[in-house]
Amino acid sequence: MEFVQAVIDGLLIGGVYAVISIGLTLVYGVMGIVNFAQAEFVMIGMFVAWFAWAWLGLDPVLAAPLSFAVAFAIGWVVQGHLIARVLKAPSVAQIFLTVGLLIVFENGALMMFGSQFRSVTTSYQTMSLSLGPLFVSLPYLIAFGMSLACGTALWWFMRSSWFGRAMRATALNPSAAQLMGIDAGLMYRIAFALGVGLTAFGGAIILPYATVSPTAGSDYVVLMFTVVVLGGLGSVAGAVAGGLAVGIVQALSALVFPIQLQNLILFLVFIAVLGIRPQGLVGASR
Amino acid sequence: MKRWMLPLTALAIALLLPLLLDPRGYWIRVLAFTFLFAAMAQAWNIVGGLANQTSLGHAAFFGIGAYTSTVLLLKFGISPWIGMIAAAGLGGVAAFAIAIPTMRLQGHYFALATLAFGEVLRVVANVWTSVTGGASGISVPFSSPSLLTYSFKLLRPHAYVALAALVIVTVIFEIVRRSAMGYRLRAIKENPAAAEVIGIDTAKVKLQAAIVSGMLMAMLGTLYAQVAVFFDPDTVFSAASISIRVALIAILGGIGTPVGPILGAFFIIPLEELMNDWFSASAAGLSQLTFGLILIAVILWRPRGFVTLFKSLSSRFGGASA
Amino acid sequence: MTVLDVRGVSKRFGGLQALSDVTFSVGEGQIVGLIGPNGAGKTTFFSTLVGLIRPDRGSIALDGRSIVGAKPHRVAAYGMTKTFQNVALFGDCTVLDNVLTAGLLRHDVQAARDEACRSLDRVGLLAIADKQADTLSFPERARVELARALCTGPKVLLLDEVMAALNPVEMREIMTLIRSLRDDGITLLVVEHHMRAIMAICDRILVLNFGKLLADGTPKEIAGHPEVIEAYLGQSMEKHR
Repeated sequence: MEFVQAVIDGLLIGGVYAVISIGLTLVYGVMGIVNFAQAEFVMIGMFVAWFAWAWLGLDPVLAAPLSFAVAFAIGWVVQGHLIARVLKAPSVAQIFLTVGLLIVFENGALMMFGSQFRSVTTSYQTMSLSLGPLFVSLPYLIAFGMSLACGTALWWFMRSSWFGRAMRATALNPSAAQLMGIDAGLMYRIAFALGVGLTAFGGAIILPYATVSPTAGSDYVVLMFTVVVLGGLGSVAGAVAGGLAVGIVQALSALVFPIQLQNLILFLVFIAVLGIRPQGLVGASR
Repeated sequence: MKRWMLPLTALAIALLLPLLLDPRGYWIRVLAFTFLFAAMAQAWNIVGGLANQTSLGHAAFFGIGAYTSTVLLLKFGISPWIGMIAAAGLGGVAAFAIAIPTMRLQGHYFALATLAFGEVLRVVANVWTSVTGGASGISVPFSSPSLLTYSFKLLRPHAYVALAALVIVTVIFEIVRRSAMGYRLRAIKENPAAAEVIGIDTAKVKLQAAIVSGMLMAMLGTLYAQVAVFFDPDTVFSAASISIRVALIAILGGIGTPVGPILGAFFIIPLEELMNDWFSASAAGLSQLTFGLILIAVILWRPRGFVTLFKSLSSRFGGASA
Repeated sequence: MTVLDVRGVSKRFGGLQALSDVTFSVGEGQIVGLIGPNGAGKTTFFSTLVGLIRPDRGSIALDGRSIVGAKPHRVAAYGMTKTFQNVALFGDCTVLDNVLTAGLLRHDVQAARDEACRSLDRVGLLAIADKQADTLSFPERARVELARALCTGPKVLLLDEVMAALNPVEMREIMTLIRSLRDDGITLLVVEHHMRAIMAICDRILVLNFGKLLADGTPKEIAGHPEVIEAYLGQSMEKHR
């Protein structure tokens, strides 16, 4: 029974992990770069939601779209002015540009908000539904619901909207796409801004049961990368599968291992996937 | 004749510097760490520069080195010099363990994987309290000052040991670069498929480079332990302060060149110290923030020439690069 | 004496059958041409021979030793190497260093340097030994690549369109070079689009289309072979009556 409970918890939180990680895989799929600063947008999303709660009394789940918007704007500017300039540079330069961004975001937040940990309290934080012998935590359920909504919206966007299809075309074959009149630069901007926006959205959803601080991003780095690598860098569907898988792995390992080791399990999964099947369980290699 | 004069002059200055600085002062410590980080960057340079594999996980070897010699000293009273050899051994094993699964990875993927490895070791060190003392860190036992026990009262001898390490690692770098292995690494960097077809066992060569680099980095970890006297996993296995910084020093100075890491270290380490000095009074994080902004600015200014920023200088002084 | 024996080699990439049951053998000292329309699978075949691609089925034996599944560096050690169609030089290195690196397979650095000079001299490029490889013209680069392949001391040399973009004078020089390599005991497989050159220097010609070996014979036999003509020119006039 503990096992089933863990699987349920894992699935619910896995949905959020998926939302957080989709952005990373989207950016890689369209632009070919790994954004080492991606996890910082979890922190940014969390902060936006926290301030919305502290100043406006807004529930973090309702503030999630706001987090998305703020991150989208930041991403739009960053991609257009910074990242676009190194798309043709050696991977070393690309890696260290996003590493530089990571340093700037983390320390910028430190300077603006101070290092103390903050959290929110909501009316439903400790509530849960009972399904027979099992408990479904309400915050988890709501988070999962939001992730589902977000995921569905993204799916629709990628499949049906012109922008979504144009982005996929750019990802598959930038020169052909350009010949069709698609502005690759615009696509990259949308992809990046969308990617970081989604991650921030996920951050806001997580806030009810996490704490935010300028260093919060680093808690999610390995998790995010594990999800993405497990599902295949570049595959959105893979990120979803990976997110759920990581959620379950984490929940199950919590049954057996002390908390410090749980991250270790994730790391090892990460390394194993990279070594054995770099293209991930679902995705195709780039 | 002329080519030897400049490195020799530089070496002479380097030998004199520790004598000119106040032995109890602040700057002798900065100098010692500059030498040490230059050596670390040079060790990284073998993998990151010659083999063109951007490793963001070299802290793994560094931490292994620091902990190996210290634990041996603490529990068995073994001299750090011998501990250093053990550290080199374990560093080599770790390099092997990391290189095998990451063998086929390139660019970003490789960086990610190595970053993860470094973090794995950091977590393990934090948790394995019985051996490492866990998150609260470990103290290097004092003994009466002597070269034999690698224990000194003042920093000046440490600076000289670090300088000696820098010279040795640089010599090893040059030997690798000019040897058959150097040619093979260059070929692999330029075109791995073509390298294979003309008979280069790319996997073996990359493995060899990784092991040399890992062993050297581990030995430098021992050096650090003896200077710092106290450390914890979050310091020696740090992705930001060790792995990324070391790579940055080599890249900024001139990746793949023998003099690059040295230039890079002498630019970055004192600059960081100065910024910490100026800024830490005002706000936590300001110095790091500024550093991040400088990093971004430099990459944007010369995204392709990011590595050639000092290269033109380096190749004039240190001989041809690559 | 058979130096290269290929049997039933097949390779599929997703929906495309790139190679289909290719079978032939080559005797020592032969110059064998490999022709076929674009996309026929010639470069894929070369890549499979040297080990860059692993065939789904079939066997490849070099001097009686099976090399299927061996990595390219092993195959090179056993004595077979190839040049790349688009030329894969080490751009950041000098011409000499490019060739020297190949010599390291069987020599130390000093001896490799001497071997490299010899190889460069053979292709007539010793004069530009110190130039940076990515500053060369395409024909020059193709020749350096040939010198580099030579420097591995091969028994079997696979040349992938070494005569592309050459003027007639240069082509004749390469043809003379290929013949002299054969006189030194090297067996050569040559992919080329220049029909006249192929007909002139090859003892035997293999024709590949859609991954299948269409024909295997002397230049004269191939020239008159109806399926070969059809492969290149489309269906013959006869069929349209």
